Amino acid sequence: MAITKTLKDTLIIAWIKSYPDFRRNPLMLLLIAMIGSIPLFFMLIFSGGGMLIHGLIGAMVSSVTFIGVMAGIQDISWDRYVKIREMIVAMPVRPVSYALGIALAPLMLSVPSLVFFGALAASWGVMTSTATLWTVLALIIGWAAMSAIGFMISTYLFKASMMVLNNLSNLLGIGLIFIPPVYYPETMLGSFSWISVIIPTSNVAGLIRAYTGLMPLSTETIIIRWVILIVTTMVFVVLTSLKARWRET
Amino acid sequence: MDQAVKSNKLVKTYHSKDVVEALKGVNISIDKGELYTLLGPNGAGKTTFLRIISTQLMPTGGDAEVFGYSVVNEAEEVRNHISVVPQDVATYNNFTPWEYAYYFARLRGMPKPIAKQTAEKALNSVDLWELKNRMCQTLSGGERKRAIIASALSSDADLLMLDEPTSGLDALARRNVWAALRDMVKEGKTILLTTHMMEEAEMVSDKLAIINKGEVTANGRLDEIKALIQEKYRVVVEGKFEKLSDYGEVAKLGDRNIVYVKTQNEALELLRTTLKMNLRAEASPVTLEDVFVKLIGGINNGNH
Repeated sequence: MAITKTLKDTLIIAWIKSYPDFRRNPLMLLLIAMIGSIPLFFMLIFSGGGMLIHGLIGAMVSSVTFIGVMAGIQDISWDRYVKIREMIVAMPVRPVSYALGIALAPLMLSVPSLVFFGALAASWGVMTSTATLWTVLALIIGWAAMSAIGFMISTYLFKASMMVLNNLSNLLGIGLIFIPPVYYPETMLGSFSWISVIIPTSNVAGLIRAYTGLMPLSTETIIIRWVILIVTTMVFVVLTSLKARWRET
Repeated sequence: MDQAVKSNKLVKTYHSKDVVEALKGVNISIDKGELYTLLGPNGAGKTTFLRIISTQLMPTGGDAEVFGYSVVNEAEEVRNHISVVPQDVATYNNFTPWEYAYYFARLRGMPKPIAKQTAEKALNSVDLWELKNRMCQTLSGGERKRAIIASALSSDADLLMLDEPTSGLDALARRNVWAALRDMVKEGKTILLTTHMMEEAEMVSDKLAIINKGEVTANGRLDEIKALIQEKYRVVVEGKFEKLSDYGEVAKLGDRNIVYVKTQNEALELLRTTLKMNLRAEASPVTLEDVFVKLIGGINNGNH
């Protein structure tokens, strides 16, 4: 019974956080797709389209993770600012429902652009059914990792102003998505390619490239990368839960 | 058990740059089905008390029970019975009043048909039904506040807690909210309200507590609170009258003076004297504000 209520509350909060944008702010959906597409435009101009398929993988990762980290920071701090969070704390709603609902909302908003980029990748013949399954799994864990990073920041900087947090979330989104090898293969980093394994976004992109055959990796390497991705996510979740307080002390 | 809320030596101390004792052992009992108002100046501890009772904030010491459940140890049980409107709450701009009322009812575990019924009732009670599908960003400040209040009313909770719910509302909107709150009391709900508006406290409360600097200065029914001071009448005298203090305690408000007297005869005598002097004067029973000012700081504290 408690689990059913927890799940139902999670979906209601995710719906509350995403439905108004779906219905009244469809430009938001376009914006998510546009943010992911901008690097593709420059790749087309400067690489003549040769790297575009790598960029497409990056656009899929970006759709899910960019808005994920922003929501983790901005939604939480906004709810605190408008005091909706205070109302929810005083309701029979579990903190896990609230956190999952807030994290799930951007995932729902990113589905249209994800489907668009995924369809493009499939039309280019790199998305087999097996690759699609692994891609979805990697994206889900990437979304969880980026949401956890967002929650961690809003938890540890809970006294920071909305302005600081908004800027920080944008910087973090750009820093974790457009600089590491998300839109381009990590092999281009040469001896620094190991960096891509420790950053969740580029790790996810690397795994997708491995499953789509764009960047061959050994089975051992793939397993290690999955372990690192899951452990990184868990670390952020644990760090957040150590500091987060549903009820103020 | 007839008590909705019973606090026992509730203490809250904030440790920031300075140590602030927001509550210093507050004991308050609220009976089921009454509207109880916490009245106090800014920084008195009203919001801290409400936030502890609504399980948002842990006390430093003491405890409180809500319908028999401890706010310290049984917060989840308490949350099944309460609903809160925080101070200075704002809205999601792209939300409608209907969505506020309906989805907050759903979050309380109500099935869809029941949630629809309670949302409709709540929106009607704050006179927002006609605007139910308008986005909050297109509503006035007062309408947005009423949308939030509707979300609390739609909870169907046994205890509603509202922290200065009518601040920023115009007179008509305020009366709508008061009417809705009194209707809820008539239906058997308990309401805890904080305000610094005397008129609000007088109009809606069954009982009230005056709280100042973290301590309860007085509590009880309105007539019991008013009985705490000896003066029963106030005479407002406009113009120069040098020996006013012979009649009673005087509060100076620029060119006006409020004279507090103990009996109706004393008030009438002062009125006659002022009229003979061609001064304007007006007599009435003391207000809650007079009592409040006297209890928390002395009548002459407002003098310049």
